[in-house]
Amino acid sequence: MTERVLVTGLGIVSGIGNTLEETLNSLLNGRSGVGIVEYLKTNHTDIPCSEVKLSDSEMFSMLSIPETSPVTRTALMGIIATREALTKAGIIPDRSMKIGFVSATTVGGMEKSEQYYPDFLENDSRNDFIKVHDCGACTEVIADYFGGFSYVSTISTACSSSANAIALGSNLIRHGILDIVIAGGTECLTKFHLNGFNTLMILDRAHCRPFDASRAGLNLGEGAAYLVLESEESARIRKANVLCRVSGYGNACDSYHQTASSPDGKGATLAMTQALEMSGLKPDEIDYINAHGTGTINNDESEGAAIMNVFRDKIPPVSSTKAFTGHTTSAAGSVEAVISILALTENFLPPNLNFKSKIEKLSFEPVTVLKRNVKLKNVLSNSFGFGGNNTAIVFSAENFSKN
Amino acid sequence: MAVYIRGIGNISIQNTFLSTGIPQPVWYNEPYVRCIDPDFKFFLNPLDARRMSKLIKRAIITAKASISDSGIEMPDAIISGTGLGSIDDTEKFLTSMIENDEKFLQPTFFIQSTHNTISSQIAINLKCYGHNNTFVQGGISFECALSETMMLFADNKIKSALVGGYDEMTPAYFKLLDRIGFWKKEPFASQELSKSNTNGAMAGEGSVSVVLSDSKDQKTYAEIKALDLLYMPENITNSIFDFLQRNNLKSSDIDIVVAGMNGDNKGDSIYWKIFSELFSETSQAAFKHLSGEYFTSAGFGVWMTANIIRSKFLPSFVSLNNIIPGKYNNILLINHYRNKNYSLILLSAC
Amino acid sequence: MDDLVLELKTEIIKVLNLEGLKPDDIDNNAPLFGEGLGLDSIDALELIVLLEKNYGIKLEDPGKGREIFGSINIFAKYISENRKK
Repeated sequence: MTERVLVTGLGIVSGIGNTLEETLNSLLNGRSGVGIVEYLKTNHTDIPCSEVKLSDSEMFSMLSIPETSPVTRTALMGIIATREALTKAGIIPDRSMKIGFVSATTVGGMEKSEQYYPDFLENDSRNDFIKVHDCGACTEVIADYFGGFSYVSTISTACSSSANAIALGSNLIRHGILDIVIAGGTECLTKFHLNGFNTLMILDRAHCRPFDASRAGLNLGEGAAYLVLESEESARIRKANVLCRVSGYGNACDSYHQTASSPDGKGATLAMTQALEMSGLKPDEIDYINAHGTGTINNDESEGAAIMNVFRDKIPPVSSTKAFTGHTTSAAGSVEAVISILALTENFLPPNLNFKSKIEKLSFEPVTVLKRNVKLKNVLSNSFGFGGNNTAIVFSAENFSKN
Repeated sequence: MAVYIRGIGNISIQNTFLSTGIPQPVWYNEPYVRCIDPDFKFFLNPLDARRMSKLIKRAIITAKASISDSGIEMPDAIISGTGLGSIDDTEKFLTSMIENDEKFLQPTFFIQSTHNTISSQIAINLKCYGHNNTFVQGGISFECALSETMMLFADNKIKSALVGGYDEMTPAYFKLLDRIGFWKKEPFASQELSKSNTNGAMAGEGSVSVVLSDSKDQKTYAEIKALDLLYMPENITNSIFDFLQRNNLKSSDIDIVVAGMNGDNKGDSIYWKIFSELFSETSQAAFKHLSGEYFTSAGFGVWMTANIIRSKFLPSFVSLNNIIPGKYNNILLINHYRNKNYSLILLSAC
Repeated sequence: MDDLVLELKTEIIKVLNLEGLKPDDIDNNAPLFGEGLGLDSIDALELIVLLEKNYGIKLEDPGKGREIFGSINIFAKYISENRKK
């Protein structure tokens, strides 16, 4: 069993950019994707969201897929991000390789089901979309665009889904089941999600303010992000450009409440502790935490408590980048994994936008201004889902010689 | 690292919940069948159950039954497979959103619609802080959950786990899939499902929870030796041959081969081909004529296989040929969903 | 007021699916949350929907629910003073 899982490619599309380069640019220039919805057809136009700045038609055309195909926006975004990750890694999936696709989504094909549900029941005009309703079918649509994948799996743990996809992908490589796994998640905005979160009364009508004393909820976002995970052996043979290493991950359940996080952040503390343990790192070796930081009253306080539990009086720089991308739900784990890896490889600390005043109960403030030329070795990314599905991942710099 | 099946709870369209072993079958002549449920009130107090759909109630009840069957008090991990999660609550939220034009929506239906609420509600109910995950890979969701669990055992991260497969078939979802030709339209009898030779499957639903452990006791059902997941394999016979070889077995070492035949002639022809190419001299069996087809029906297959191994008995109503198994040491469970997702599970006597 | 109290109890039992409970089982002065009836934050969100749907009262701050849902009597009083339908 190989212990080392390398990251050799990244792909991302979100409200702050349609490519990795655009994403980096937005992060370095403080450009948020949050604004008035343009593509989602909803009555709740007063709720700001971070949309991918592409129409479905534009995506169909970018990918040369006929617009009549049963491909949802979630799948389109997934294909765009996967394609970028594969291209960056120089991989064309092929049956001769041991290559798999592990994706995460929470509502699968809901974007079309919520438009066509009456048609589904009454006439046959939209029947093509019935079989792409479930989450697994969404993953298959993406995988089948490329072909060549001999392993496909889908995870759905609400807002930690794609972090768990990265952990599963890493396990598949560590256990020698696969050599390469494209792992991440994709989720487009849906009326279902927007209304669902709205019933929970945790959507801020203004721009979200993670870790700020005045925070009043989250902004939803949409996006897709994938990592190319690869065994050391495969990366060596391919002479791959190695970006970093997945050095540890932890998954624990908060077991507290269906929607609320525990006040002491028990599940989050366990997840971070396990990730550190697996990576063999001490808390003071973590150079940056990309927090889950949704901007809800409950999450930020609970996560803050957990960070204090783990890092005590030596809390590394922390920021939530959700004020940039919005909360991309199932995709958040991989979107933020990509952002964390960009921080690691480009040597910067992404700022936590919109922060003004500290949460009283917390001992720390987030990073508020962009810091460049910071040498980072290990970064931790937190992803927490409703029901207490908490996952933390550590990415570590890798001094890997191409030869 | 050996992984043993220590306890199982099963609510299905058969009388499985209160029986030890495989009960006498209930036969059906229609493609839409619901579970034979126990009286939920007997197991759940009304306040705890107030927000639970049938699916969640079944899941919590079978989870607890499997734990009590296993003698293991608290699993180290809870990992579930579900194709759709609580589709009933999803439909309630969706139709209410459409009918009321995005007004007056109830949070409960949204919260219950998320797929991971099954695993997390079991965890909250048990107060289990361990690894918690949910797989939603259509027709192999249960096997995906099992696959991750096997890796956690191999990593020594866990010593026990609660793995489950949970899906419900609402009237509306049955109807949707019926419109795209998933279900049988011609008359059939479930006892002859594998011979029906017509299009479409018999639908089902169910909730199967399995407690796994790295140790065994007198009551242990079986060992899960190996598991492979395959996506659109180019030649399934070769994949099975390769799987057996990796586990140091020949096809003649397999005492019984159990297939996920669901009555759909197109999909079932794949199993018949595998049988003729690898297992013509082997005892052959099926399980979906008992469980019906649904995303996590493989859970029922594992329940049935585990019971066959423990009891060393192959009931005639699951047998597909006249070959009586000489031993009950190795059973291969083959499942596929619409010829895309395949799983191979090797269960052995322990 | 008595009519409203009974109506409210019946609606709460229906909306929150409090199976087996009858209006008489709910004490007009007992807290609905925590110790009393044992309701939680999700139930509070359901009651906020009920307020808007049945009585036209829109609550923007979920925190305010805590006061309003103090007991059946407090809840009924708030509705009678603020209802728009």
